[in-house]
Amino acid sequence: MDAIPAVRLDGVSKQFADSYAVHDVSLDIDAGHFFSLLGPSGCGKTTSLRMIGGFTDPTEGAVVLAGEDVTALPPNKRNVNTVFQSYALFDHLSIEDNVAFGLKRSGVAKAEIRQRVGEMLDLVQLDGLARRRPRTLSGGQRQRVALARALVNRPAVLLLDEPLAALDLKLRRQMQVELKQIQREVGITFVFVTHDQDEALTMSDRIAVMNEGRIEQCGTPEDVYEHPTSRFVAAFMGTSNLMTGTYRNGEVALADGPGLPVGRRAGIADGAAVSVSVRPEKIWLSDFEAGMSVLSGVIRETVYSGPTTTYLIELAPGVTLSVLEQNTARSRMEDRWSGGETVEFGWRPEHCLVLS
Amino acid sequence: MTLLRGPFRTRRRAPGAAGTRMWTWFMLPGTLWMTGFLIASLLLVAVLAVGTTDELGNPRFGFDLGSVRALADPAYTEVLARSLGYALLTCVICLLIAYPVAYTIALYGGRYKHAMIAAIVVPFFANYLVRMYGWSVVLSDDGPLLRALRSLGLADGGTKILNTGFGVVAGLVYGFVVFMIIPLYAALERLDVSLIEAGRDLYGGPVRTFFFVTLPATRQGATAGLVLVFLPAMGDFVSAQLMGGPDQIMIGNLIQDKFFQGQNWPLGSALTMLLMLVLLLGMLGYLRRTRKDEAEARR
Amino acid sequence: MTLLRLPSSAAPTPARTRIRTRRRRAGRRPRILIAVTALFFALLYLPIAVVTLFSFNARKSLTVFDGFSLRWYRAFLQDDVLISSLGTSLRISLVAMAGSVVLGVALALGLVRCRTRLGSLAGLIMLVPLITPEIVTGVASMLLFKGLGVTLSTGTVMLSEITFSISYVTVILRSRVAALNPEVEEAAMDLGATRWQALRLVTLPALLPAVLAGAVLVFALVFDDFVLAYFTTGVDPQPLSVRIYSAIRFGVQPTINAVGTLMLAGSIALIALALFIPRLFGRRGGLDILSGE
Repeated sequence: MDAIPAVRLDGVSKQFADSYAVHDVSLDIDAGHFFSLLGPSGCGKTTSLRMIGGFTDPTEGAVVLAGEDVTALPPNKRNVNTVFQSYALFDHLSIEDNVAFGLKRSGVAKAEIRQRVGEMLDLVQLDGLARRRPRTLSGGQRQRVALARALVNRPAVLLLDEPLAALDLKLRRQMQVELKQIQREVGITFVFVTHDQDEALTMSDRIAVMNEGRIEQCGTPEDVYEHPTSRFVAAFMGTSNLMTGTYRNGEVALADGPGLPVGRRAGIADGAAVSVSVRPEKIWLSDFEAGMSVLSGVIRETVYSGPTTTYLIELAPGVTLSVLEQNTARSRMEDRWSGGETVEFGWRPEHCLVLS
Repeated sequence: MTLLRGPFRTRRRAPGAAGTRMWTWFMLPGTLWMTGFLIASLLLVAVLAVGTTDELGNPRFGFDLGSVRALADPAYTEVLARSLGYALLTCVICLLIAYPVAYTIALYGGRYKHAMIAAIVVPFFANYLVRMYGWSVVLSDDGPLLRALRSLGLADGGTKILNTGFGVVAGLVYGFVVFMIIPLYAALERLDVSLIEAGRDLYGGPVRTFFFVTLPATRQGATAGLVLVFLPAMGDFVSAQLMGGPDQIMIGNLIQDKFFQGQNWPLGSALTMLLMLVLLLGMLGYLRRTRKDEAEARR
Repeated sequence: MTLLRLPSSAAPTPARTRIRTRRRRAGRRPRILIAVTALFFALLYLPIAVVTLFSFNARKSLTVFDGFSLRWYRAFLQDDVLISSLGTSLRISLVAMAGSVVLGVALALGLVRCRTRLGSLAGLIMLVPLITPEIVTGVASMLLFKGLGVTLSTGTVMLSEITFSISYVTVILRSRVAALNPEVEEAAMDLGATRWQALRLVTLPALLPAVLAGAVLVFALVFDDFVLAYFTTGVDPQPLSVRIYSAIRFGVQPTINAVGTLMLAGSIALIALALFIPRLFGRRGGLDILSGE
């Protein structure tokens, strides 16, 4: 990559009394990208965001924005703006004045402020509410005010700290789409913190999965979902059937279980203890093709949930896989398996992940 | 676990060491002011308590236990005992009055709850002196209270309230009962009414329910109220002056006397320290009680 | 048992009827409690009513009301000493209010946000005036001024009243400061405000209702206070409350009823205002201001 990254974290750590909230994180975020920091609560994603914003000082490392080291600069001297989880609107100011706050601070002319605030309120579809107070707005509307208030300053980077967490599911889905559209429209780099992997997968250009203060994996949504490089990422990104065993000759022998054919893997030594993961939707229950690994097991549970059906299949005592089938037009109800039946199932070796 | 709590904690804290430094500066003027004017002056009282007076009665610093020893004089121990007795009696009476009032307002006040509490609190925080004066008029021999009691046949011409110990306690109760009502009301309002109903199920009678359910649930409010009443009642000197006679003086009156009429400042200081000591013991007892309650609640 | 209690539109069985009567009994207002409360309110307001009533008495009597008259109010207005005392009291209250609000608000902000050992020490010092009886504070203040060789005057009263009032302001403000969302101030800084601008443009406006309520309350408390004033005032001028105290102790003139009525009316109005201020800003009502919760 030749272009200067919009955000670079260079060996950044944040240490509290006896523990690290963020531990030696290095990261490049390209200009114009929608970048997500994804992880469970307490993984350090919010602390990382706060260090980019300037609200928390790193104990080690440097924060670089567009090539400039800003580690020592306070928030008001950084060309980034934040959408806070609580929205943090100014209750004593009107919506208009909330949005105009940043422009006034930077001494923009009054006429221009009025124009830009108007445009921004249009963009987030809040025109007409300009004179209202934040308290009188709904959660979704407040969220838009927070977004407008940050975006109106045309920052190089917009930081968003779980901005959708407080919204109900339907509104959340709608805002996900809208947020992505707005990002494309304004072309600003978004750094988005979330614990919801669906949200991250739907919206992001790139995702960094964090755990215990470190970045576990960083890549495109497909990368992270399809090719997790660690057990944690595999388990955190959706459901995955994680099993442990010993790799030998293109097969993983499960403890007290059958060997799973996984294909030859370069870089994994015979006799290595490994984890195996297969996504539920990558497992077939019929129409096997040549080259697939086929095994058999007993159906323990059938869970119907509208468009899909999930089967829990016992492969060996204590080893249960979950298998997802689409309920397409071609599949018929009476063809569904029921509990106790022995079935064959299989997957392509390349869909089976082997993690050492 | 600590790792999980780490980032959350930062979010609650103002950012950075620079912030902490700034907030220290914010804290400083008020704290220095109070240290200079209050803490220093309290220390001065302690120092003067072991001071002496010269021939003209002017206070002199030194180390002399004369004033402290003088506290053992029966004339003073009697006043201290009386003050303690009055203050404790005031606490008990305040509890007995405040409980039903707070209970009624909290449970049956409906939407007038807040208005009723405000109607109690607002005049109570208004001019203490004028209220006490009005109360002394009410309690006077020709006052409305005794006249009403006499016309009901509950009192005769010889019944007096003013210039009796009862009068002083009545004054203290009138002065400070609100400090009992506020914490009790707060506790009772938090009390889940369904708890009382559950108590009715378990114990049946309202009396048993009250003693087994309501009272324990509001004990912390009552303890807080007792301290809040005890502190000012013990230090009061207005009630004894307006409602009592020479035989009902309290430690506050003694202190006032030593500083204004008697002009024996070391002795006045020693008395002040004695008062502080009693109050401190009361506070410590309260803190131990609440600690125990908290420990029990945690278990 | 609990299940049975759910209200139901079904035909009442004998069991259900029994339960219903019991419910009604539990919900009934016990007459004795109501009576005690009513008596309490009567006794609470009786002294206030008596002072007010006799302030309008045509005669110089505290026992017999003999026709309506404003003579005691007129007497008060013509009494130069009392009027100058009123002025002194107002001056003291204003200065104490201004001083304690500035120091108290800053202290509250510092206490909440400064989690150092110094902070907890400051928190303890702040509590001292609240648990020390006024007579002790009064004695101590007087000794301090005398010890420093300062002549007691209106100024010394002001200094002492500020000392005492800081705690009130701080207690009222502290819970409000603690309830502030720290992200709001961060948002202001994120939008280009310096720390000071964030404080001035965002934090203080958010605290304004509580600051105003605290200011009004302190004004009323200082105006009414006489113990501290009594110990720290000079001979002349004296605050009104000290004059009243002397008057009550040494022979009551009915003028005191008029002054007392005015003072009661004034402080009741101010305290009610302090309770009402948060509502003006659309916040939940303010009894918590007095309890400090």
